[in-house]
Amino acid sequence: MNRLANLIREALINLRRNVLVVTGAVLAVFISLALAFGAVVVNEMLRTNIRAWQEGTHVIAFLKDVDEGGLTPEQQQELKAEVETWTEVKAPVAYVDKLGAYEEFKTWFSDRPELVESIDATVLPSSFRIELNDIDQYQAVTARLDVNPAVKEVKSLGPQIESLSTLSRVLNVLGLGLALVLGVSAVILIANTIRMAIYARRDEVSIMKLVGASNWYIRVPFVLEGLIEGLAGAVLAVLAIWIPSQNLSGATASIPLIQLTISNGFFLRWGVLLVLFGAAAGVIGSLLGLSRYLREADGGAQPGAA
Amino acid sequence: MIRLQDVTKVYEGGTVAARDVTLDIQKGEFVFLVGASGSGKSTLIRLMLRQEPITRGQIWVAGKDITALPNWKVPYLRRSIGTVFQDFKLLPNKTVAENVAFALEVLGRPRSVIGPQVEQVLDLVGLDDKGDRYPRQLSGGEQQRVSVARAFVNRPPILLADEPTGNLDPANSVGIMKLLDRINRTGTTIVMATHDHAIVDAMQRRVVALERGVVVRDQASGRYDAFIAGDVEAPPAIDNDAMEEIVPDQPDDLGEASA
Repeated sequence: MNRLANLIREALINLRRNVLVVTGAVLAVFISLALAFGAVVVNEMLRTNIRAWQEGTHVIAFLKDVDEGGLTPEQQQELKAEVETWTEVKAPVAYVDKLGAYEEFKTWFSDRPELVESIDATVLPSSFRIELNDIDQYQAVTARLDVNPAVKEVKSLGPQIESLSTLSRVLNVLGLGLALVLGVSAVILIANTIRMAIYARRDEVSIMKLVGASNWYIRVPFVLEGLIEGLAGAVLAVLAIWIPSQNLSGATASIPLIQLTISNGFFLRWGVLLVLFGAAAGVIGSLLGLSRYLREADGGAQPGAA
Repeated sequence: MIRLQDVTKVYEGGTVAARDVTLDIQKGEFVFLVGASGSGKSTLIRLMLRQEPITRGQIWVAGKDITALPNWKVPYLRRSIGTVFQDFKLLPNKTVAENVAFALEVLGRPRSVIGPQVEQVLDLVGLDDKGDRYPRQLSGGEQQRVSVARAFVNRPPILLADEPTGNLDPANSVGIMKLLDRINRTGTTIVMATHDHAIVDAMQRRVVALERGVVVRDQASGRYDAFIAGDVEAPPAIDNDAMEEIVPDQPDDLGEASA
């Protein structure tokens, strides 16, 4: 217990006395992990947005009026029920009658009253607003609606949504790839920084060996230092991404199209992962950096005695 | 206490630093290893500490063949050997007291024991009022006394010194030698590599002379230079009283510290 207290005290004293090197190590961890974490967060934002954009109406079928050879509103309800049975279609299908279309038109163009006045409630067609289970199936649905004699015109967001999906997939791969590269460079940076810190103190290591310190006695303070540096850098990185992103989501909450709010659960999950990663990188970096100096100070293999 | 049997050390590149060195050092002896630079004195010290691999031969320390010692046991060997070097080898970012305490912390001694022991040994080397200074704030002679204190604080049976006076002026050198002499009188075996003629001549202890890795002379109560019998008369020896005169203000309360 006493020994452990000594070792921890030793590590803390060393941290205090090597402020510059320690700051360097913490910054190295901080910058690389913050970049990696930032990439993960941006990736998650894109993913939620694209998912949000993919929700809602995918296909609109405008219906003929009765005088155009179309169906009566009652018959249109029957057609709606039929469309809802299609496997590609997510029930319920929204039905907007002619009056509803006029109201919608009025709200869209409320800032241009002359346009609203030029149109009367009977002109706009009624329509089905259809959401698909899988947007990739939009072509089958539009084709089937197109041939229906009661349908005047079919509009689909399919092509746009399809390219959005492709974009989403590409961004996913890119984002995760970037996070991976930055994560690996974080480990290398940490290992290198700690190695340099140990190089600066190699005399200390050799003196420790001289007075009979065991390898573990020498390692523990360095490993504790690496652990503390890795933890500090990782915690800073998580905070540096989390806090601004909270502010950002607050500032953009009123913008309907983009959604920059990411659940705290996501941050917590990745934050814990990142902190563990930083701690592990610090420990591994210290052990790697030390191994050479520890080996050098020992008499090594004894060929004569073998 | 220490026995070297046919010790040979060839460095990479073929330099022979020791050739078939056989030595037997008894418990409580004070042995000078003398010779010019490159004669192999330091190599023998390093081999005794297991700081480098031996090429051939065996070294026994306290009855154990250290050439066959597994690496993980090397720290235990070094804990039974105090070391003093020409360049002091103090940790610059630790105070004097911390430097000395370090040797005890490594052994896992409780702090309640470390404190008084450090105080006692600093008292022994006459630095009891400088425990909270840093090495850079001390003179060379004082730094070397700190390193002697560190070497002796856990009362090792053996003390190895490699040119401990190499960086010191004569007055400070005498101070260090008086310390080592005192430590030797507590029963500690001391092996000291040096090329300081005056000290070797004054101490009149066993002298092992090396030349290009070979023992050329092993003489109880010897002098630095060999004298061919009947050629010249040996110059008068400087005794310990003469050393007292050079450094009269040495602390003299060492008896209890070394008890």
